[in-house]
Amino acid sequence: MKKTERKNSNKNLQNNLVYKINYFTFASDLKMTRCATGVETFKNQRTMENNFSAENSLRLISETIERSRRTMAKNSGKPMILWGTLVAVTSVIIYFLWSKTGTPMWNLLWFAMSAIGAVCSYKMGRNHEKVPASEINRILGKVWMWFGIFATGFYAVLWIVACIRYAAHMDGVVGVDMTMIILMMMGLCGAISGSVMNQKAVSASSVIATALAVIYLLLLPDGSPAQILTFLILGVFALIIPGVILQRKTRA
Amino acid sequence: MPENGKMFKPLDPLLHSELRLAVMSILIDAESADFVYLKAETGATSGNLSVQLDKLQQAGYIEVTKGFKGKMPQTVCRITDKGKDAFAAYVEALRSYISTDKG
Repeated sequence: MKKTERKNSNKNLQNNLVYKINYFTFASDLKMTRCATGVETFKNQRTMENNFSAENSLRLISETIERSRRTMAKNSGKPMILWGTLVAVTSVIIYFLWSKTGTPMWNLLWFAMSAIGAVCSYKMGRNHEKVPASEINRILGKVWMWFGIFATGFYAVLWIVACIRYAAHMDGVVGVDMTMIILMMMGLCGAISGSVMNQKAVSASSVIATALAVIYLLLLPDGSPAQILTFLILGVFALIIPGVILQRKTRA
Repeated sequence: MPENGKMFKPLDPLLHSELRLAVMSILIDAESADFVYLKAETGATSGNLSVQLDKLQQAGYIEVTKGFKGKMPQTVCRITDKGKDAFAAYVEALRSYISTDKG
C-alpha cells in the first residue's frame, strides 16, 4: 500500500514537475515574446517619436532634401542633350539641303524635328525610373516648353503670312529675321536654365553661344543657307554642353 | 525659459519625429511624391510610413490621393499650404533654439 502510494506520489511529482517545466517554458516564451514585442515597439517609437535635438532636426531636413534633390535631378540633363542633338543635326541637314536646292522650304523640317523630339522625350520619360518632378525640373520644363511653343508658333505664323503674300501676288519675303529672333529666344532660355540650375557655366555658355551666333549671322549675306548653322552653335553650347554638365554633376 | 529671458517657440510635435519630418522635407521640395518613392528615400517600412502619412493627412499637412497607374495601385502624396506653413514655422522654431543656444 505504502509502495503504491509512494509510486503515485512520485508520479504526481513528476507530472507536476513536467507541468511546471512546461509552464515555465511557456511562460518564458510568453515573456520573451512580450519582451521582443516591447523592444520592437520601443524601436518603432524611437523611429517615429524620437525627440532629437534642434541641430539633428535641421541636419535631417537638409540631408533629406539634398538626397531627394539628387534623386530627382538624376537624368535631368538627358532632355537637354536630346534636344540639343536634334537641333544640331537638323540644322546641318537643312543647311545641306538648302544649299543644294536653293530653297528655304527645307526649314519645314523644324516641325518634323519638334514631332520627333516630343516622341523621344515621351519615351525617355517613360523609360526612366519614376521620380517626382522637382521645382527646378518643373521650371526648366516650362521654360523650354514655352520656347518650343513660341518658336513653332512664330515659324508657323511667318509661313502662313509668306503663303498669303505669295497668293496675293505680293513679294513672298516677310521682312522679319526669324533666325535672329529664335536665336535670341533660345539663348535667353539657356541663360535662364543656367540661373535656375545655379550653374554659372551653363548661363555663360548660352550667352557666349548667342553672341557668337548673332555675330556670325550678321556677317553673313542676307538669305544665306549658312544662317541656319547658327542653330548648330546654339544647339551645342546652349543645350548639349549644359546637358552634359548637368548629367555629370547629378551622376557624381 | 532660456537664461536670456527669451521664450522658446514651441516645436510642432507632429513634425518633431524623424520619419514625418523626412517625409515633409521631401514633399516641401517636390511637387508630389508617390508612396514607393517616399519609402525608398526614407528607408521606412511600408506599415510605419503608412501610419505616419495617415497622421500627417489627418493634421491637414498633406493630401493623399489613391488611384491606379495602369493596373498598379498608386498612392500620391502632396504637401498642402497648411503643411508648408507648419514646416516653415517648425524650421523657424528650430533656428530660434539654435540661435539661443549659441547666443
